[in-house]
Amino acid sequence: MSSSTKVSALDMPDVPMGQLPEHLHLQRTRVVCKADAPIHTEGIQYSGAYASIGVDNSMGPNKFCKSFKTVVVRLTADEIEFDMVGIDASLANAFRRILIAEVPTMAIEKVLVVNNTSVIADEVLAHRLGLVPLNADPRLFEYLSENDTPNERNTIVYKLDVSCKKGGSRVTVKSNQLKWLPNGSELQMTTYDSSAKAKSYTSFSCSQDSLPEFSKKPLGVSFPLELLSDIQNLLLIIYHCHKSYNYEQAIELEAHAVKGMGKVHAKWSPVATAWYRMLPEVVLLKEVKGDDAEKLVKKCPVGVFDIEELGNGDKKAAVVNSRACTLCRECIRGVNEELVELRRAKDHFIFTIESTGAFSPEELFIKAVTILEEKCDRVISELS
Amino acid sequence: MNAPDRYERFVVPEGTKKVSYERDTKIVNAASFTVEREDHTIGNILRMQLHRDPNVLFAGYKLPHPLQYKIIVRIQTTSQSSPTQAYSQAIDDLDKELDSLKKGFEDEKTRFEEKLRQGY
Repeated sequence: MSSSTKVSALDMPDVPMGQLPEHLHLQRTRVVCKADAPIHTEGIQYSGAYASIGVDNSMGPNKFCKSFKTVVVRLTADEIEFDMVGIDASLANAFRRILIAEVPTMAIEKVLVVNNTSVIADEVLAHRLGLVPLNADPRLFEYLSENDTPNERNTIVYKLDVSCKKGGSRVTVKSNQLKWLPNGSELQMTTYDSSAKAKSYTSFSCSQDSLPEFSKKPLGVSFPLELLSDIQNLLLIIYHCHKSYNYEQAIELEAHAVKGMGKVHAKWSPVATAWYRMLPEVVLLKEVKGDDAEKLVKKCPVGVFDIEELGNGDKKAAVVNSRACTLCRECIRGVNEELVELRRAKDHFIFTIESTGAFSPEELFIKAVTILEEKCDRVISELS
Repeated sequence: MNAPDRYERFVVPEGTKKVSYERDTKIVNAASFTVEREDHTIGNILRMQLHRDPNVLFAGYKLPHPLQYKIIVRIQTTSQSSPTQAYSQAIDDLDKELDSLKKGFEDEKTRFEEKLRQGY
């Protein structure tokens, strides 16, 4: 669709009634990524936008349900990639925002340090512990507010007890050394009343592993050493005790995990990250033959183009994998004439969700849709 | 030092209503809705859905300040409808769309898992 040549409106080809002419259809459904900036980025929602040419642009819930499609491309234990066709950018962005910030998770909030003679300061260690992803289902827990006592329904208690002897070899402390204490805190709170029974920091009325939900899957950290041989997935808390230090280093602490949302602190975000992109569409405006075709194919770093052999030794360039386009704009950079047009489909989104382990990625998306529904209900029900 | 607590982004304090409504004195059929403790997540969606309503002449939202956690949605309609009606209709339509979206995704997920299982 070359926009440089101007065509008189009277010479344009006839379109059947109820359909938009080519250039308007492009403007309505595609973002065109030019060399300096994209154009046609705004969404045309108004149902009477093309009323003057007799085209109905309306979209009610029934029409949406008919035109909506979703296709799962890849599904693994931690990651999902799926396409959604027929939704608007605002909905896609809402899902992304909810996945990152509003799906609740469990994370370590309070760290009670008994002994820390390592080189890492208490607060640095506590901060790192907070960021460790925990393999606990937050649906089984309640929120803990300031006035509540920590009990088995709203807290998970972990213990870390490592030490390194003087002159011993270097010890690496990894997150899987956090031991789950199903019976609650083992530390005693100091009271001034010596006759009272010593209280611990949490009041668990029954052991957590006696509850049926927890006994199925012991609460641990997401990526323990034994199950994975992949080194990147281990969370290194600290290195400690180098041989040259002349004293014993030890860390003894208790960590309490509570339920929270990513909005309050990023440690409670259930996704490593979640993102979306629009479906790319790469269009060759002219026929590119011979050496020019070779040059074009070489320019693209992800292999969007390929050579197509025509009969008599002639070659031309063809678009084979437009989905891989990353919009690096190498194919339109520095050329004098426009050979390629880069477009994005406005209503086709490719979502990728990487989970940190508490939920499976497809559950995460379903939870995000549920949270958005609850938000909508809250916004309408409280209108008097 | 002056930053509000993070939980204020979603906890509505006692006494304030979640949604309040103010009619525009100078223009007929126009109103502003102030939604407390919400942000672009719901604001942009609501605005988009309102634009689809043929009776809505003007629909827009803004966050007056990034540290004040509320949005103001301004709606003007034709005389066929009223701002509250347009607002309720938009949310109802959204609910229906989200329901069908969730169902579509769950169906596709089971279909994909079936396909994976049979592929082996």
